[in-house]
Amino acid sequence: MIKKPIEILNENGLHALPASRFVRLAEKFKSDVTLEKEDIEVSGKSIMGILTLACEKGSIVILTCEGKDEKDAFKTLRKILEGHD
Amino acid sequence: MPRERILKGIAVSQGIAQGKVFIYETKHIEVFQTPILSVYLKDETERLDRAIKKTEHELRNIQKRLNYEIGENFAQFLDAQVMMLSDKTIIQKVKARIVDNKLNAEYVYHEVIKEYAEKLGATKDTYLKERVADIWDVGSRVLRNLLGLTHSSVVEVPAGSIIVAHDISPSEAALINPKSVLGIATEAGGRTSHTAITARALEIPAVLGIKGLIGRIGNGEQVILDGDRGIMIKNPSAGRIHFYEIAKKKVIELKKALSPFCELPAKTKDGRHIDISANIEFFSEYTHAKKYGAEGVGLFRTEFLYLTRHGSPTEEEQYHVYNALAKKMKPSPVIIRTYDLGGDKVFSDYQEANPYLGWRAIRVCLDDLDFFKMQLRAILRASVNKNVKIMFPMISNYEEIKRINLIFEKTKSELRAKKIDFDEEIQFGIMVETPSAALLSPHLAHQVDFFSIGSNDLTQYTLAVDRGNEKIGQLFDHFHPAVLQLIKQIIDAGHQAHIWVGLCGELAADPLAIPLLIGMGIDELSMNPGSIPRAKMVVRAITIPECEEIAKGALRFRTPLEIKRYLRRSIQRKFHGIDEVIK
Repeated sequence: MIKKPIEILNENGLHALPASRFVRLAEKFKSDVTLEKEDIEVSGKSIMGILTLACEKGSIVILTCEGKDEKDAFKTLRKILEGHD
Repeated sequence: MPRERILKGIAVSQGIAQGKVFIYETKHIEVFQTPILSVYLKDETERLDRAIKKTEHELRNIQKRLNYEIGENFAQFLDAQVMMLSDKTIIQKVKARIVDNKLNAEYVYHEVIKEYAEKLGATKDTYLKERVADIWDVGSRVLRNLLGLTHSSVVEVPAGSIIVAHDISPSEAALINPKSVLGIATEAGGRTSHTAITARALEIPAVLGIKGLIGRIGNGEQVILDGDRGIMIKNPSAGRIHFYEIAKKKVIELKKALSPFCELPAKTKDGRHIDISANIEFFSEYTHAKKYGAEGVGLFRTEFLYLTRHGSPTEEEQYHVYNALAKKMKPSPVIIRTYDLGGDKVFSDYQEANPYLGWRAIRVCLDDLDFFKMQLRAILRASVNKNVKIMFPMISNYEEIKRINLIFEKTKSELRAKKIDFDEEIQFGIMVETPSAALLSPHLAHQVDFFSIGSNDLTQYTLAVDRGNEKIGQLFDHFHPAVLQLIKQIIDAGHQAHIWVGLCGELAADPLAIPLLIGMGIDELSMNPGSIPRAKMVVRAITIPECEEIAKGALRFRTPLEIKRYLRRSIQRKFHGIDEVIK
């Protein structure tokens, strides 16, 4: 399991297109993906869940990936949160 | 015979329509709680799966029918809607609750969607708040499919209809077929709503924001919709019908007579070329600009990017739009005006006593440099297409230009440092639309590459008249001699400094004003795309020395009425074949 706090640096926060891109990529991995913000945890494969976290630029989320391909998943998804994918 | 009634709203898309009302209803969906016997729970979850599948099929169908030129922005929403629909977490949650609580699918689904919508609605973020409408758009589709309710869809509108609705959801607005829909009238919405944008893009007359519309109009009723005046006429009298029939016929005839001019160059009889460009608000309108023969976009009003999404678009979103527009118009120029917010284009959460004299346009931008520079970067990046010019609104003093210039240069060097390409030769211009800028124009001209005269604001500020105020609106007249004198001074000041001068207010499209402005030396006229063929017709009928003579004579009058009478007479005497359009 990889679990680390990440600052959202994406210009748009995790709202519009980045959120759908995040979900689309997360779905490609076998690992479980979760995002946590202010004690609320949602599935990284659920667009509605991610939207309700209301992640603005500068907010901190905890990204967790757990499964066979967790390393790849974490690396890829982190890039979206940090806005340089 | 029932009495004629006039329902007032906001005119958002021009034209006259006469047709049968088609009431497009989005009925409130009622959901009841029903206990389900354990043996049937599996059927219940399967029913949910089927409804979701059916909804996905519907959304994919919409995606197929979608007119991408119009629905570019919307296509993104649609993708997001499909994603929301197939969100596994939600589907699993609904299924688990159906089984655990032994309840019917529609009740549980509604409950879960409501929870998410409420959570999103509670955030402060305006972008997320708007997604609530998307969630309900998708949610209601699923619920209707679960309940076996038929959709009332704008796709099924019979030919010759005027759609009457409380509101039209974005997914429906994108499906409106201009072949069968003659006009649109709604209770909700305004100039920047999705329905308004769609109506303008399809060139369908539309009046929105009519209070109490539903309930006063019945299905199948014959009505007249006047998208120029912003009214809908119920039970029109014989006289009214006659009036509109003539008006409509004239419009059609004129359109036909003018259509050959779309293709022709705007050259005077003696060979001077006048730039005729288009004013546009939305990316999709570039198709109109091209169709009517614009030689460029003389004014791209960026504030609508801000207003339609109730907040600041990101640099990337802006860049995407500016770049796409520049690419589509290449090699013709595109003049992008920085945000002209404030005035009548208000912020939802900010009010002031005197908005036209207040925190408006460039003043807002200069108070929030991050916000301003984000737009400058986006415009600069789009300038790699080599046909982009930038223009700043509401300049009222010299210091503003100096400040903008510093900020602009700084933004450029920041881009250079990051190795981001832009057009080093990008032209930098200002709107001259305040009397102070007009009077200072000899000084301002040395600081910029071009002037664009905003005749609407210049008139309003020079005459101290708010045209929207019904009591004094008739005092607004851009043929007022004081306004014309200022325009002449601005043009002269520009030419003395060897810069070009354009005009982008309503005056530019007025056939009576065109010979006058050309006689004063104007280099470019920018107007609503629909007015371009008429302007070209006028330009092609005139000659420069005669226009100059007209211009010289015009400035000796004392009242707008005298000036207009003089212009009409001299144009009729000197030029031929344009009587029909200068009446």
